[in-house]
Amino acid sequence: MGAPSLSPRSILLFVCGEPRRGDDAAAFAAVECLSSSALQGVEVRRVGQLSPEDLVALGPNDACLIVDAVAGVPPGSVVRRDLASLLTPGDGPAPRSTHALPIPDVLGLAAELRGDLPRGAFLGIGGEAFGIGAGLSSSVDRALPAFVAAIEAELAALAGPTAR
Amino acid sequence: MATEAPSFERSFRVEGITRVEGEGSLHLVVRDGEVTEARLKIFEAPRYFERIIVGRHPDQVVDIVARICGICPVAYQMSAVSAFESIFGVQVDPVVTRLRRLLYAGEYIESHALHVYLLHAPDFLGYASAIDMARDHRDLVEQGLALKKTGNELMAAVGGRSVHPVSVRVGGLYRVPKKRELAALRPALARAIDASRATLNLVAQLDAPAFDRKARLVSLRHPTDYPLFQGRIVSSDGIDIGIGDWRTAFREEHHEGSNALHARTLSGETYMLGPSARVTLAADQLHPLARAALDGSGLRDAIASNPFWSIAARAIELIHYSAEAVDIIDAYEPPARPFEPWTPRAGAAGWGSEAPRGICWHHYETDDRGLVTKGQIVPPTSQNQGQIEADLTAFAPSILALDHDAATRRLEQLIRSYDPCISCATHFLDLTIDRG
Repeated sequence: MGAPSLSPRSILLFVCGEPRRGDDAAAFAAVECLSSSALQGVEVRRVGQLSPEDLVALGPNDACLIVDAVAGVPPGSVVRRDLASLLTPGDGPAPRSTHALPIPDVLGLAAELRGDLPRGAFLGIGGEAFGIGAGLSSSVDRALPAFVAAIEAELAALAGPTAR
Repeated sequence: MATEAPSFERSFRVEGITRVEGEGSLHLVVRDGEVTEARLKIFEAPRYFERIIVGRHPDQVVDIVARICGICPVAYQMSAVSAFESIFGVQVDPVVTRLRRLLYAGEYIESHALHVYLLHAPDFLGYASAIDMARDHRDLVEQGLALKKTGNELMAAVGGRSVHPVSVRVGGLYRVPKKRELAALRPALARAIDASRATLNLVAQLDAPAFDRKARLVSLRHPTDYPLFQGRIVSSDGIDIGIGDWRTAFREEHHEGSNALHARTLSGETYMLGPSARVTLAADQLHPLARAALDGSGLRDAIASNPFWSIAARAIELIHYSAEAVDIIDAYEPPARPFEPWTPRAGAAGWGSEAPRGICWHHYETDDRGLVTKGQIVPPTSQNQGQIEADLTAFAPSILALDHDAATRRLEQLIRSYDPCISCATHFLDLTIDRG
C-alpha cells in the first residue's frame, strides 16, 4: 500500500458504529469516558466503518483494539473476541454496524496483505435499539462503565507491562 | 393414452447473496429449459425512514436520510437537499455546486473502487472472495484499496467525514474547504486517474459471460455536465421528463416476498439504472479523458447491452470522477459564503440524484414552517430489482450446462453487476401493508 507505518508499538483504537443510531453509538460514547492515562500512547480513530486499509497500515509491532456495538448477546453484555475468531462468521456475537465489507472480509484482506493479522482484539457491547436519533438504551447506558473499564483493561494489556 | 414427457426442473437457491450490501436471497426455478420463477428476495427489516422524517426540519432530514446507506450517503443527501431547495426557491452558489460535485466524486471513487476490485473482480477471475483473489493478485487489491482510500479522503475533506458526511445543508454547505486542503488531495487524485485508466485496461481484458439483451436504460442527463444531481430524467426509449417528474413516468408497487417496493414504468415495464445507463445515455458528457478511454476500449455497445460489462462502465466513471475532481480543485476559489439563507414555506417537490448504482429519487411536502409533512424515497436498487429478475430469467437458460455451483456463481455474478444495495432498498411507503 505504501502507507507509512506508525511508530513502533503504536496502539490504534478503532471506534466503529454510528453516533446517531441508538446503541450503535455505544463505542463512541465509551471512548469519550476513557481516562487520559488509559489513552496515553493510544491513537483514537473514529472510523465508523472499519476498512481493510485501516489495518493494512499497521506496522508489525503495532496493535489495535476495535470497539463496536454487537448483536447476538443480551443488551449491555460486554464481549471480547480475538481478531482471529472474527475471520469466519459464526454463531457468536457479531459487530452490529454495517460495514462496506463484512468484518471477516476486512480482517481477511488485512491478514492477506500484511502477512498476518495485527496484534489486537475486538470489544463489543450488546445493543438493543438502533433507531435514528434514539440515544443509548437504558441497558447499554447502565453497562457503559463496564464497557469503558473493559476497553481500558484491554488497552493496558496491549501496551504491555513496561509501556506505562 | 398419450404419455407426457418427463419434465426436467432445476432450482437455484442462494439464501444469502454475498458481496452485496445488505441481505437478500435468490430463488430461481428452471423447468424444461424455461425459467418459471426468478425472485430476488429482500428480507432485511423495513426501516421506516419515510415516517421518521415527518415533522423534521429539512436540515435534519438531510442528515437522517444519509444514514440509510453507508455506501452512498451523499446520493441521499443530494436528492433531499435539492428537493428542499426547489421547494424554498434557493439558488445555490455555483462554486458550492462544484464542491457538492467534488464531494459526490469522492463517493463514486470509493464506491466504484470497492465494487470493481473487491466485489465484482473476484467473479471474473474465478475467486470466491477478494481474500482469495488477494493471494494471487496482491497488486490488484492494493490498487483498489488505494483508489478507495483516495475517495474516502476526498469525502472527508469536503464532507467532514468519509462515512455519512455532515457538511451538506439547505442552501449550500456548513463549511467550505480551504484551497490548501483541497490542493493537498491533488497528487492522490492525479494518481487515481492513472490507476483508473489501468483499471479499465484490466477489466477490458476480462472474460464477461455472453449475454446481450435490450433493456430500457434510464439516467439523468444534463446539457453540459455528466449526470449527478441536475438535468432531466431520460431513457433509451424516449422518456424525457423533468427531474422532479419521476411519478409521471414511473411508479412503485409492492411485490410479495420483498420488503422493498419495486419500481416500474407506468405501463409496468422494468428498467435499468446505474453506470451502464449513464455511460450509454451521457457518453458525450464524460470528461475528455474518460470519453477517450471509452472510445479506446471498444466496449461502448457491450456496456449498453450486456449487464456484466457494468464493471467497465464503473472503471470509466472512476476515470471521469478522478479527472473532474482534479479540474474542480484546480479551479477552486472559496465562495463568499458557504450557504445561501432561505425562508421556509409550504410546498412540494421531487428530485433525483445519480447514486453510484442509479437514480435515487425523493419527494417531499412541507408545511409553512418548512417542516416535512410527507416524504417518498425511491432508492436505485428497488428500481433495478425488476430488471435484475428479468435478466435472471433471460440469462439462466444459457448456463444450464454448467454444474450447479458454477451456474449459481454466474447468477450471483449477474446480480452483483447491478451493485445492489439491499439495505437502501428496504423501506416501506405504507406501514399497513397487508402481507396476507
